[in-house]
Amino acid sequence: MPRPFLALAYQFQWSILWTSPYGGWLLQGILTTLKLTVLGWVLAAALGAVFGAVRTVPSRFLRGVGGVYVEIFRNVPLLVWMFLWYFGVPQILPAAAQEWLNRHNGELIAAVAALGVYHGARLAEVVRAGIQSIPSTQLEAALSTGLTLTQAYRLVLVPIALRLIVPPLTNESLNLLKNSSLALTISVAETTFMTRQIESYTAKGFEALTAGTLIYLGLCLGVSAVMARIEHRVAIPGLIVRGGGAEH
Amino acid sequence: MTAVGRRIAAAGLALGVLLAGAAPALAETTLEKIGRTGVFVVGARTGSPPFGFIDKQNNWGGFSVDLAKMVHQNIEKKLGKPIKFELKESTPATRIPLLSSGAVDLIAGTMTITRARRESLDFSAVFFVTGAQFLVKKGSPIRGVQTIAGKRIGAQQGSTNEKVLREKYPQAQLVVFPDQPAAFTALTQGKIDAYTNDGVQLAGLKAKAPNPAEWDVVGEFFSYEPYGMAMRKNETDFRNLVDFRLMEAIESGEYQKAYDKWFGAQGEVPYPLSETARIFLQMQVIPR
Repeated sequence: MPRPFLALAYQFQWSILWTSPYGGWLLQGILTTLKLTVLGWVLAAALGAVFGAVRTVPSRFLRGVGGVYVEIFRNVPLLVWMFLWYFGVPQILPAAAQEWLNRHNGELIAAVAALGVYHGARLAEVVRAGIQSIPSTQLEAALSTGLTLTQAYRLVLVPIALRLIVPPLTNESLNLLKNSSLALTISVAETTFMTRQIESYTAKGFEALTAGTLIYLGLCLGVSAVMARIEHRVAIPGLIVRGGGAEH
Repeated sequence: MTAVGRRIAAAGLALGVLLAGAAPALAETTLEKIGRTGVFVVGARTGSPPFGFIDKQNNWGGFSVDLAKMVHQNIEKKLGKPIKFELKESTPATRIPLLSSGAVDLIAGTMTITRARRESLDFSAVFFVTGAQFLVKKGSPIRGVQTIAGKRIGAQQGSTNEKVLREKYPQAQLVVFPDQPAAFTALTQGKIDAYTNDGVQLAGLKAKAPNPAEWDVVGEFFSYEPYGMAMRKNETDFRNLVDFRLMEAIESGEYQKAYDKWFGAQGEVPYPLSETARIFLQMQVIPR
């Protein structure tokens, strides 16, 4: 009688997930994933807002600078950026800075830089779309009140654009969270790293991967929920058809 | 039913059909699977000279791969038809899932046989014996496990060395890499102070480095690492086939020939077979 090699040979042992030390590893992994996501997001949002705005200004030179940033950083795979930020960039820094990085969790810093700069380029396009969707009369009105161009962007256009782009921003934020798993390639012990670690210690791969799946799903649903609230709160009356109205 | 509900139901149905279709294929032994598909898939390393690595001419081979090819001969003999020999990359982190999902039929790399692993996998007889050491830049203050406190020590994720270091030597700062080339680059750049792995693999890394004289393999073995080929659990027929082939190879001198090809003075990684290891290997050969 042939013995089934997968269907029956595998014995599930879910308790692995909460026995010490594996449960603690998962929690550490979640914390690291959150750390990467939050820091990466802040960097991405700052870069995205600045470069997205820059890509719509009258100055051809500045628009060019914005364009170069976006095209370079969004068109190279994030995995490659991870390696470049970890192995490449520190090489051009002075020895003292390299030493400092090595002693201060350079892996995490490189991963945050990779995530932030890559997603910053993608966010810049979202912000640009937001700004370009604002009727040009808004800018003219702002300028006619005596604001300089910079002030008009900082006080009028960018704030409006940010309120318009919440749905695609949610999308990008979720992508950033999930992409943080690539940091495992440069030795950052985030959630996926930990599930692999548990797997290699216990050979209980299905349990570990299931845990990882549920963790990402849970985190993403959490982010979605928060972003939905933000979307609801910051929507500009009259400019966006609100959620409930979309089905009419 | 709403549109969304219908869609979910359709997706569920599709998944059900898929699983039902896949189920019969899963309920077969490794030998039956090889016979049906006509392919013998072996999980091998790509960056562990000379066990499994890609050389400068872009050829993928190595000592473990040669042993797997010997197993391949006997599979063809047993099944009485030509079978394709295929290699698939496996790392310490991926080899167990590759095996348990059926993506590969045999792991022929640098896998240490441990009791914990034997809970969920089966192993062949031991085909190589080594132990953990450190690879450091020449002149490094690290000379062995006594001198690693507070140092950043690189290890490969999923390796036994990583586990030993984590559990027995918490005074070192462990930095875990998914593969050996990444860890070696980190060592070259001074991101880690030492890299730990099985002594023979470190000898391989050193031999393949652009400037071998720059590196030292240091320290006594701080772990015992007997390598075996891994397969799915509870398949005596297949395990016997693998084991018997290995014994034949040791008996007939094919093992020694393969060993000399990779570890001999002219080999990729000169690493003479110690007398103890030679006796140990021969003792494993049980009578016919």
